[in-house]
Order: sequence, then structure tokens, then C-alpha cells
Amino acid sequence: MRQPLHGLGYNTAMTSTAAPPSTSPALAVDLAGLCLANPMMTASGTCGYGYEYAELMDLSRLGAFVTKSVTREARKGNEAYRIVETRGGMLNAIGLANVGLEVFLAEKLPQLRKLRAAGPKIIVNVAGHSVDDYVSSCARIASEPDVDAIELNVSCPNVKDGLTFGTDPALLRTVVAQVRGAMDAKVKLIVKLSPNVADITLTARAAVEGGANILSMINTYTAMAVDIHKRRPRLANNTGGLSGPAIRPLAVHLVHRVYRAVARDAGVPIIGMGGIQYWQDAVEFLLAGASGLAVGTALFVDPATPIKVAQGLEQYLAKQGCKSIREVIGTLKLHGE
Amino acid sequence: MNATPAASSSPTKPTPSERRRFDVRVESNEPICREHFRLRMRVERSSGVFPATRPGQFIQLGCRQPDVAADMEALLGAEREWSPGEPLKLTQPELCGPLALLRRPFSLSGRGDDKDGTWLEIIHRVVGVGTDWLSRLRPGDAADLIGPLGNWFELPAGKKRGLLVGGGVGLPPMFYLTEAMKRAGWDAVGFVGALTSDLLAVKRVAGVDPATDGKPARCVEEFARHGFSAVVTTDDGSLGLPGRITLGVERFLAGLGDEQRRETVVYVCGPHVMMHAVAQLAAKAGVDSQACLEQAMACGMGTCQSCVVKIEDRQRPQATTADGTPWRFRLACTDGPVFDGRVVVW
Ligand SMILES: Cc1cc2nc3c(=O)[nH]c(=O)nc-3n(C[C@H](O)[C@H](O)[C@H](O)COP(=O)(O)OP(=O)(O)OC[C@H]3O[C@@H](n4cnc5c(N)ncnc54)[C@H](O)[C@@H]3O)c2cc1C
Ligand SMILES: Cc1cc2nc3c(=O)[nH]c(=O)nc-3n(C[C@H](O)[C@H](O)[C@H](O)COP(=O)(O)O)c2cc1C
Ligand code: FES
Repeated sequence: MRQPLHGLGYNTAMTSTAAPPSTSPALAVDLAGLCLANPMMTASGTCGYGYEYAELMDLSRLGAFVTKSVTREARKGNEAYRIVETRGGMLNAIGLANVGLEVFLAEKLPQLRKLRAAGPKIIVNVAGHSVDDYVSSCARIASEPDVDAIELNVSCPNVKDGLTFGTDPALLRTVVAQVRGAMDAKVKLIVKLSPNVADITLTARAAVEGGANILSMINTYTAMAVDIHKRRPRLANNTGGLSGPAIRPLAVHLVHRVYRAVARDAGVPIIGMGGIQYWQDAVEFLLAGASGLAVGTALFVDPATPIKVAQGLEQYLAKQGCKSIREVIGTLKLHGE
Repeated sequence: MNATPAASSSPTKPTPSERRRFDVRVESNEPICREHFRLRMRVERSSGVFPATRPGQFIQLGCRQPDVAADMEALLGAEREWSPGEPLKLTQPELCGPLALLRRPFSLSGRGDDKDGTWLEIIHRVVGVGTDWLSRLRPGDAADLIGPLGNWFELPAGKKRGLLVGGGVGLPPMFYLTEAMKRAGWDAVGFVGALTSDLLAVKRVAGVDPATDGKPARCVEEFARHGFSAVVTTDDGSLGLPGRITLGVERFLAGLGDEQRRETVVYVCGPHVMMHAVAQLAAKAGVDSQACLEQAMACGMGTCQSCVVKIEDRQRPQATTADGTPWRFRLACTDGPVFDGRVVVW
């Protein structure tokens, strides 16, 4: 029943009994030249480097795989407690714990190459703490074969120096422009926006002006949960990033705003994320203007979520009489329009 | 099975074991004592064969109605036929069902295979929204889990006696471990502790009272069933030896000769401070220990990096403690939950 792919434990027939071999052509999307078999991706930091979920979901049926943030040096991350569940969501303060660039290239990327051969595009998420840091990491990763895109994490709320790039439009424009300039032109640049700003259209515009090919949104909301008995924050880091179903309406709103104010006219596609758990959630993002979709927190509940969402989307499109998902993207009509 | 064994100071990453998502059906869910339930689940045949498991391994159990919103036919139908005034139930997944979003980790307290397939057993204590939902499950109800997860307790060659120390919800894996002890021909002694007698999640053997001086007796059914004795402690003295579980362990270790100590392994699971104290007692007595660390988890599968514990690591340290011990964060879910008690930085 289980077919190892290239001997690595990526199973091509894993999720359920009667799963079709690949997703319907109606689901294919083209994100500024990044062509995906379907819009479904993993959200950075929720799916490791690939192999962790290999037995629980058929990774080859993803549109793209997005890695955990990689930094130039390995990071051990924050003290425990690093997570706490809140109503309809969770707070995390992992602190970008990751293996570092060298180990990533030597040990993780080769596995992702094998996965890429089975279909999904490979997107490497990169974090840093200086312009130089971002530029050197991205240039290095983009020079590797089989990396389709780099996602810039300029918005991690859980490290002391992570947020300024994501909240200061001028700084963001600079880092995006320098990274774009240093990268192989074939590799797409995705900029991941932080919701922790007063006006997200300003950072979105700055990213586009800097040369972002694609925007992804949103990262987590800075938040706090309190242990009322100890009168202390429940996370060792005091604050964490809120994700999961609780943030979906906030995320849909921001995607819609950026789509209308910046992305649509600039022709820059949006990867929408924030609380996607069921296909209905995904449709909301598509209507609001997202062409790609990433699933994060819901993977912890069921790693096969992206595949189930894709199946739901297929049926939704059929019921709506749509031949392509493009007929849905950005078609939300506001009251009064 | 191919996760790393207990003494996890080796830097190798475990390859994924046979973990998968399984649908299960509740066979029974009996209250054992105040706040504690024994939940037995039958793995649905449609989910396939449940892989081999060993004591110390755990499952990630969904603590909410499985897949309420994923039923596509029902949902699309509901959307088409919905009219104002009707409840929105199925089109609004987040508005139906209980609140627990993430799965909850539980150690296996037992597992069996018979002509009807596999049953799995856990013992859970009601402490919040997820376990409250579990406590309401009735025979025939559906649930779903991901497993088996984590590494397991080892029975090292050359040893033949296990001290099975379980405090509070640390007891369940010890029950499962008794079976392995029996099969391996080991001798085992259970150490069972709680704040007070009605929080002791064990079956008492009729007519055999736990000793008040800490001498092992065949007083706990889960151990006596395999011919093993147990020491019961309660903080308030309402049953057995008055005091902490560590007192019982300390007394027992003091009664062992050098040779006996070399043949003994202490297995411990429970609150962090208790495991720390027991591991220290074992180390002082020159006895090996294995601790099952129950760190808070989101995924349970090695992706989220939430369940870190500090483990002594001289080869690849990430930092050093104030007293000079080099350590590295390891994941309780995939590198553990069982670690050599001597290398845990408590
Ligand atoms: C590997 C492992 C094995 C476990 N085995 C068992 C078991 O056999 N039986 C059992 O009853 N419980 C076990 N637990 C603990 C169990 O997972 C928690 O009690 C459960 O997650 C609480 O869920 P809840 O929704 O009811 O409570 P929540 O509302 O989530 O939390 C209620 C309280 O429980 C505490 N809590 C939450 N998560 C944990 C945790 N992981 N460990 C300890 N305390 C926690 C919280 O701090 C809070 O005070 C195990 C935990 C781990 C990591
Ligand atoms: C445990 C955890 C770790 C995360 N780590 C990263 C990360 O390393 N880099 C990043 O860009 N985003 C990270 N994120 C944010 C997610 O990629 C995503 O933007 C966010 O969680 C919203 O999606 P969701 O609600 O589907 O989880 C993390 C989220 C979680 C829950
Ligand atoms: S619980 Fe997610 S890595 Fe351990």
C-alpha cells in the first residue's frame, strides 16, 4: 500500500484510500511565473524541513513546500514553555530555532530536491538580523539548483531583532531590493508581511517597490497569555505569535486590503495564510485575492489538511461551475459594489 | 520501529517511525478515581494495522469531534440548501464543537491485539477543556489519534529489576511497562504517589493494604496482576506511607546491596520536580534511571520545535549551565519522551 519514493519515505499513496493521483488541472496557479499544480503550501515553521510528516501526508501532492526559517548561523531558540493554546488558536515563541544555513544546505536541501522531483516547488524561508545577513543567505540559497523561490521572513515576532524589517517600510524596501539584486533572477522572491503594523499597505507597497515577485501574508500576531495564578506570562518569552483559526478573519481582511490597494494593480500575487483549516477557509482567502494558500497550525491537528483542502476546493469549483481557480481569485464583491 | 533509544545523547535524528492517523472507537471510558478515567479505544479496521508499540510511547489524541467540518458532501449540500433563519452549523466550522484545537499527548497505559484488531488504552486526568471532552466519551463514540509517537523505556541487558515510579498522570506508562518487565523476566516494584488517596489512579487489591512503612506489598492490582509489589505514598498520609513518593524510593534504594543496585533501573514519570528528585536519588545510589519527560507539545511529530528539554551534550553543546554543564535542546516528542535521567539538565 505504501510506496516509498526514491527510497526516502515520501509516500505517494498515503493520505486516504481513494485519493486521485494528482490534483485537478482546475487548481493550477501561476504565481508570477512560479507555476504550481495547486495553490496549497505548508506555512513556514509548521512542517519542518519536509521529511517529518512524510508518513502522514502525501507531500508530493502539495503545490509547494515551504521550509522552516533558515538563518545564517544555527539558532537554539527560546526557553520552554514555547507554546500555549488559546481559544481557537495558539501562541508560539519558538525563537527561530533552526539548523543554520550550512546544515540546511548539506542535509535538508538534498531531501527537498527528491521531493521536488515528485512535483511540489521548493520555497526556502530565510530570516536574518541585518541586511548583509539576508543578502548573503539568500544569494547562497538562490545559487543552489532546485530552489524555486525564497520567502523572506522579515516579520518573526519572537526574536528581539526580527521585527524592524517588517514594520519599517523604508528599511524593508532596502532589504528587499538588495536581496533581489543579489539573487539569481530565475528564483522568485516572496516577502512575508507582518500583521503587526498600523497600515499594512505601506509595507506591502515597499516590498513591491523593492522588487518582491510575490507577497505572502500573514505571519503571526504578537500576543500574550497570562497565568493568572502565578501572575506571569504563560510563555517563557513573555509574548508569542498568535496563529490558527482565531486569526483567520483578521488575515482575510488584510489579504483583501493589500490585494485591492497594492497587489492587484502591481500584478503581484498573494499567498494567503492565517487559520486555514477547512476548504471553506481557503475559499475566503481566494475570494479576497490570494492565489496561493498556506496551512500552518492546522497541520499539527492533521498533517493531511492541505490535501483535504485541495479536494474541497476541487469540489467547490465544480459546484460553482468554474473551470479554473482563476475564476474565483479576487472576485469578492463588497456590499455597495 | 526505528526511533532512538532512551539514552538520547547521540546526535542522530530518528527517522520517522510508522506513525499515522488512525480512527478509533471508544470501547469503555470508566472513572477510576476522582478526575481520572481509563479510556479504551478500538482502532478502526478501515485505518489499517496499528504499528508495534512499546511502553513509554504516546499518542496525540484529538479532543474534539473528529472532522465535523470536513464532510464535503454534507457541507456543500448544507450551503446550497441554507436559507436565512436556519442554524449555520456546518458552514461555520469554528462555531460548532468543543474548543480544543490541538491534539493532546497521552502515554499508552496498555495495548492489546485480539481477533478484532488492536485496542489502545490511556488513563487521563481531567485538567482542562480537552480532557473534559474526553471524559464525556461513551462506548461507540468516534475519536481519532496520531501515533505511535516517541521513543520508549529500554530494558538494558545485564539488568533485572525495575523500580517503576509514577506520580499523578505519570503512572499510565508504568502500567504498560509492567507487561514488558514480566515478559523479560524482570522483577519490578511499583511506586505510586498522589496528594491524597482518592487521586490515586490505581485499582486496590481487596484485603491487601499498602504498608504505612513503605514496604512493598501486592496491594495494587496493576502490579499484582503480574506478581509485582508496590509502594503507595500519599502526601497527606491518607493511604500507605505518608509523604512524598521520593521517600518510598529512597527507603527502597537504601535497602539494596551494591550488587542489587547494579542490576536495578529506576523508571520515572510524573511532575518535573518529582522526576528530578527521583533521578537524583538514583544517581546518588549509583542506579541507572530513565525519565519520561512530558513537555507541552503542539505537533508531537518533530516539526514545531515547541517541546524542548535540556539534555547534557558534550559533543555539540548549544550552551552551558551556570555550573558548567554543556547542554543542547532536544525534542521531547521525537528524541524522547524517555531520556537517561543522568543527562537531563533538570
Ligand atoms: C508525552 C506526554 C504524555 C502524557 N501522558 C499523559 C497521560 O498518560 N495521562 C494524562 O492524564 N495526561 C498525560 N499528559 C498530559 C496531558 O497531555 C495534558 O494533561 C493535556 O494536554 C491537558 O489538556 P486539556 O485540554 O485538558 O488541558 P489544558 O487546558 O490544555 O491545560 C490544563 C492544564 O494542564 C496543563 N498541561 C497542559 N499540557 C500539559 C502537558 N503536556 N503536561 C503536563 N501538563 C500539561 C496546563 O499547564 C494546564 O494547567 C501527557 C503529556 C505528554 C507531553
Ligand atoms: C510553531 C510555529 C512556528 C512558526 N515558525 C515560523 C518561521 O520559522 N518562519 C516564518 O516565516 N513563519 C513562522 N510561523 C508562522 C506561520 O508560517 C504562519 O505565517 C502563521 O502561523 C499563520 O498561519 P496559520 O494560522 O495557518 O498557522 C510559525 C508558526 C507557528 C505556529
Ligand atoms: S511537539 Fe512539535 S516538535 Fe515536539
